[in-house]
Amino acid sequence: MTVLRINGEDRHFEKTLPATLADLLGLMKVDAATVVAEIDGQIIKKDDFGSTKLSTGQKIELIRLVGGG
Amino acid sequence: MLIERHGKTVYEKLNAATVGIAGLGGLGSNVAVALVRAGIGKLVIADFDVVEPSNLNRQNYFPEQLGEDKVKATTENLKKINPYVEIEGVSTKLNPENAARIFKNCSIVAECFDKATEKKMLLETILTETKKTIVVAASGLAGFGKSNEIKTKKISARLIMVGDGENGIEKGLSLMACRVIIAAGHQANVIVELIVKGNL
Repeated sequence: MTVLRINGEDRHFEKTLPATLADLLGLMKVDAATVVAEIDGQIIKKDDFGSTKLSTGQKIELIRLVGGG
Repeated sequence: MLIERHGKTVYEKLNAATVGIAGLGGLGSNVAVALVRAGIGKLVIADFDVVEPSNLNRQNYFPEQLGEDKVKATTENLKKINPYVEIEGVSTKLNPENAARIFKNCSIVAECFDKATEKKMLLETILTETKKTIVVAASGLAGFGKSNEIKTKKISARLIMVGDGENGIEKGLSLMACRVIIAAGHQANVIVELIVKGNL
């Protein structure tokens, strides 16, 4: 069983996890240009989304940003 | 006067604080006013823009300031509120190379940009390039009504989010003073709380 805790909720994956953070965002249909990602308390910069590997049990916060100010 | 109002300890904490404001639009110009009135001792304010007619529906500027640099106009307005507040103005576009340096003396930075991609850039930059600075960001404040859907939420030790997280300009919603000022008030209020209590 593979699982990621995303924004406080467990998300189970049948076989394998998405390989990278970029793959996870793609699967969730989240626009990488407007989301801030934190894995186990560590902010991941935009340029590293594609190279950040995921492993089971990680706590991921995805903070979606919308415009206006 | 503020010592009498807040008590000496609270006054001294607020007066000793340095807070950064990234962007001086609807959020930033109003966050700045609230923080100066609350008694924050020093602000570092940054924006590259000038005051335009389309700003006046929600931003804290006046018709006679049209065309003026926003940093200069905000400094003038804040000094009218409190001539003793210290303002460090930076008239430049913030980017991943300069943001951490510009806000290096700030314990807290308020993210007050308009575009979602710029918000992301500032959060990533400050949270990775500085060790302790807390960011109070805003997302989801467009439109009107739904006052109580604007929340202050602690994401992690160094990131606080304000807003409803959903209603952005991407949905075609316009920005109005009332809801923008609610969000700006949340940002300023949590900043004061962080300074006085030391954490959330």
